[in-house]
Amino acid sequence: MDLMGDHKLDNNYLLEINSLHAGIEGKEILKGVDLRIGKGEVHAVMGPNGAGKSTLGAVITGRRDYGVTGGELRFCGKNLLAMAPEERSWAGIFLSFQYPIEIPGVSITNFMKAAVNAKRKAAGLPDLKPGEFLKLLKEKMALVGMDSAFAKREVNVGFSGGEKKRNEIFQMAMLEPVLGILDETDSGLDVDALKTVADGVNALRSPERSFIIITHYQKLLEYIRPDFVHVLKEGRIVRNGGPELAEAIWQDGFEGIN
Amino acid sequence: MDEFLQKMTERDYKEGFVTEVEQEYVPKGLDENIIRTISAIKGEPGWLLDFRLDAFRKWLTMKEPHWGHLNLPPIDYQDIIYYAAPRKDSDRPKEIDPALMETFDKLGIPLNEREMLAGVAVDAVFDSVSVTTTFRKTLAEKGIIFCSFSEAVREHPDLVRRYLASVVPVGDNFFAALNSAVFSDGSFCYIPKGVKCPMELSSYFRINAAGTGQFERTLIIADEGSQLSYMEGCTAPMRDENQLHAAVVEIIVEKDADVRYSTVQNWYPGDAQGRGGILNLVTKRGICRGEGAHLSWTQVETGSAITWKYPSTILKGDNSSSEFYSVALTNNRQMADTGTKMIHIGRNTRSRIVSKGISAGHSENSYRGLVMVNPGAVGARNRSQCDSLLIGSDCGAHTFPVIRNSCPSSTVEHEATTSKISEDQLFYCRQRGISEEDAVALIVGGYAREVLSRLPMEFAVEARKLLSVSLEGAVG
Amino acid sequence: MDNCTMDNELQTDNELQMNRVFLIGRDEIPRKVRLDSGDTLSWTLVFLPCAGADVKVDLDVNLCGPGSSLDLAGIYICPTDEKLSLNIKVKHSAEDCSSSQLFKGLAGGCSRAVFDGLILVEHGAQRTKAVQESHSILLSERAVAEVHPQLEIYADDVECSHGATTGFLNEEEEFYMRSRGIPEAEAKRLQTISFLAPVLARLPENLRNEIISKC
Repeated sequence: MDLMGDHKLDNNYLLEINSLHAGIEGKEILKGVDLRIGKGEVHAVMGPNGAGKSTLGAVITGRRDYGVTGGELRFCGKNLLAMAPEERSWAGIFLSFQYPIEIPGVSITNFMKAAVNAKRKAAGLPDLKPGEFLKLLKEKMALVGMDSAFAKREVNVGFSGGEKKRNEIFQMAMLEPVLGILDETDSGLDVDALKTVADGVNALRSPERSFIIITHYQKLLEYIRPDFVHVLKEGRIVRNGGPELAEAIWQDGFEGIN
Repeated sequence: MDEFLQKMTERDYKEGFVTEVEQEYVPKGLDENIIRTISAIKGEPGWLLDFRLDAFRKWLTMKEPHWGHLNLPPIDYQDIIYYAAPRKDSDRPKEIDPALMETFDKLGIPLNEREMLAGVAVDAVFDSVSVTTTFRKTLAEKGIIFCSFSEAVREHPDLVRRYLASVVPVGDNFFAALNSAVFSDGSFCYIPKGVKCPMELSSYFRINAAGTGQFERTLIIADEGSQLSYMEGCTAPMRDENQLHAAVVEIIVEKDADVRYSTVQNWYPGDAQGRGGILNLVTKRGICRGEGAHLSWTQVETGSAITWKYPSTILKGDNSSSEFYSVALTNNRQMADTGTKMIHIGRNTRSRIVSKGISAGHSENSYRGLVMVNPGAVGARNRSQCDSLLIGSDCGAHTFPVIRNSCPSSTVEHEATTSKISEDQLFYCRQRGISEEDAVALIVGGYAREVLSRLPMEFAVEARKLLSVSLEGAVG
Repeated sequence: MDNCTMDNELQTDNELQMNRVFLIGRDEIPRKVRLDSGDTLSWTLVFLPCAGADVKVDLDVNLCGPGSSLDLAGIYICPTDEKLSLNIKVKHSAEDCSSSQLFKGLAGGCSRAVFDGLILVEHGAQRTKAVQESHSILLSERAVAEVHPQLEIYADDVECSHGATTGFLNEEEEFYMRSRGIPEAEAKRLQTISFLAPVLARLPENLRNEIISKC
């Protein structure tokens, strides 16, 4: 696989990031990032605090407060930068939030119904029948080991850290993205919670689905084996490698990598 | 979000049509002769005419209230038609004009036997008269009286005379006095002792004629141990001038009776520039007269240019209880000043207030409330929660509660918060594929859930839709 | 101090003092206070029994400078026939300001305590944080506590709240203490002190002890 190759357009890649510059409130955080994600691949993006890891996820999904000042972002050959956040979602991009947001008064069931049917509508499909939807909901809850009582709970309200992260993975299972981005999904989780979250992700791995796992630690990568590891430092990818790179970081930290 | 907010478009008010129907009017303006004319058209007994004239004389001495956080436009009371009714076909006086049938059909309130809403009896009021009341026979079998106010005056004068103005005295306030002088039609409802009303009772108020006001009067009596769920809805055509709606609703709840009164208010709110719309200035009050009586108010207020409304409860009976659940949404140039009064007189009386204000556009939305605990209300309790949601930076959200406690064994708790829809919430929804417009509707629906869930099932869905339609153009 | 009304002139900035305690009826309380950029003000108002008193306090604080903050607390004890009217207006005119208010009081005998508190957030005063709490306890059948906590808000990016309670001492708490052998009167006294504690903590020791001795 050509990780840092020349900037030719290649539709075989699911996601292509070329020389991406982006920031927030006039401060540049990503200073020329290049990354290629192929179908079915799992990429880990590691790096110290403040390296721009979460910014990468926010820019791919189209957060309004992050401005792109240069470079290209292509998904299945389409220019992502011209698409609204919901259009990116319909195209199959899913972000598991580092800090999932609370939506008081809205049940997980209603939230997911709105999301699933919006995606179907975009694809020209009719709404799922209530029975079909509930069946899907139950099936996916079981897949990620979520108690069915959560269906009626308000989105993320009063959830523990682990419950929030599991809810993110559940939503990913419901929306069946082609690219799942896990932003620090491991942060704040104990080993057991980490395992269940990883099991959920592994259950969703398929040749048709790629992942970007953004993480600070190597721990999660013991449970979800990445195909590629990239080190992001000061807004640039400074090293590319395989799973062994994660282990090297575990041994020596980010200090020595330049 | 700001640029999105600027994409203000006019709200789609689908009830804004006018029904072409031949109407009869009394002349414009207000004096004793007009009142005598209205009373004569309705064939009222002398005591009721006296009641009206007494109210009119009181009204003449009163001043229009301007203490609300509202810009009440000047109202020329001599420029209003106080009575308008569709002309009856003199050959077939009992039949409903097909144009009216069609109007209510269009509003989703079919009046013919075949299509009537299952489980809901409707009193349909068009301008100054009641068109028809459905399911009367079924209800009569249980001894329940549900008819137009005018009929009640004819057929149950003793009941009307006994209870009329017993909760809202004639001189209670300026608009109540005006209503007492000129009220036209409205609903009357009596549930006898121990009877559980087998279906929802509902009144639907429609203003149609231009230049008129609607002054309906509703009287509900729930006798000992009875149960009732009552629902009102209202709409009006889109017009460039304001129209006045000054209603009075009185509810008497006897010992151990239970009344749930719900409103979905969708009067024409005026256009995006604040032209036209209904001035909704109403007095609603109930009394829990007997021990253990219970009165629950639920309101979803999305319409009207101006809303001035404080459904209130006098908790007289020991152990009686009352709730006020409200969602008030204002958009564009709408103004609402609404809330409740809970007057604790009996021992161990309980009240609960949940108010959810939503302000968007250039609107002003205020909660105004009074919780009063009299010295004898031993063990009384009140809990109030008033939340405001602001959408955009050009609107206002205000909370003006008054707590007056003179009973040492009582507790009164009040809490108010203000919030907005966060960028984070919107982005989270959009990342899941939910469009910005739908996300706002979803979040607002969630915010109002506690109140919406109190509505009868049939209306909760309607109310939820109404909330998102009313926000159209504000954010979605 | 019968029928006295505080009516002072505008106080200039350099007279603002940190953590100042005012004894209502003795100290002159400025009627109007202006907070400029970055100012922080921490005041405690204390109203102590003085039979027959009829006192009205009007305080108008305007947070005009970005980033200014107000921390206001008050305590009142009206055991007999006092009349106290506190009228506090906190106006947020600039961005990023915060204000917090906490009032606690006791009303007994035939006293009457009225708390009128307005938080006004003007258009453009984004990221305002304003909290107001007022709690009073009625000690007799003839005492009246009246609370008007008001919010008037014209900006959307704000966190504002008010909370108000009036009522009596918690019976369960009292029962708990009595079941541990604490006599009723002492239990009530302890409860009262615990109710007032958050404001008492802001006072100098001598004043604190004086209040505790009156509980």
